[in-house]
Amino acid sequence: MILVSYYGIALSIILVGAGTYGLLNSKNIIRILLSSEIILNSSILFVFSLSSLIGKVYNPIIFSVFAIGMALTEVVVAFASIILYYRVKGSLEVE
Amino acid sequence: MYQIAEALQLTLFSIFAISSVAASIFIVSSKNVFYSAISLAILGISIAADIALLDPSSYSIYSVFHVLLYVGATVVFLSVSLVMFRGLDVREVRISWAPVVSLIVVAFVFVAVLASLSNVPPVEPKPVNLVVLAQDVLNTYWFPAFILIVGLLTTLVEAIALARRE
Repeated sequence: MILVSYYGIALSIILVGAGTYGLLNSKNIIRILLSSEIILNSSILFVFSLSSLIGKVYNPIIFSVFAIGMALTEVVVAFASIILYYRVKGSLEVE
Repeated sequence: MYQIAEALQLTLFSIFAISSVAASIFIVSSKNVFYSAISLAILGISIAADIALLDPSSYSIYSVFHVLLYVGATVVFLSVSLVMFRGLDVREVRISWAPVVSLIVVAFVFVAVLASLSNVPPVEPKPVNLVVLAQDVLNTYWFPAFILIVGLLTTLVEAIALARRE
């Protein structure tokens, strides 16, 4: 269904805006990480919406599986860095 | 019958779209980041539902994967680990140019998408074949799959190290 694909693209653009706003408007390091996760989700939705529009099936699934796996790794590494930051600075705020 | 199914698909997509926008607004505006992390789970589930509704016969397999790996592992890890911190309240920051920059980014992405989609003829995707998908991963994308496995093993070791507070 073509109309849903266009709606998906529009939704992903709105989510990019929300994620960018969260990235720019926060000093908390965890909020920044969560905002980047919003942008990741919107980019995955964008890939699928675009692929459903042009009739691709396998490439978006494979790329998104790799992207989600790497996102899991990235979150854990980022969280370890945040814990180190918290031990050194005693707060979660970015200066 | 076909029109009813199409209308139902569109209605469900709209409901999950509204849910995902509301969850993302809550993530960027909540005063406690623990609730933001919980809201990220709602966002992940809504996005997975929206992806499945784009084309249920093709993308529902990825939708299940998104819920299992992203919501089930990433968001739960994030939420549980946040309990380790004290003072999770977020200091209110007012950056006057942040909404303007966000709107500029949205407008730029919108124009870029509009320009790139103007000459694309829409095509309905075919249903996914799991055998072809597995062969594609094992034959063509074996190296990224290997890197992903190594990355996930590293994550496992790191999570154990975090749990032992080393």
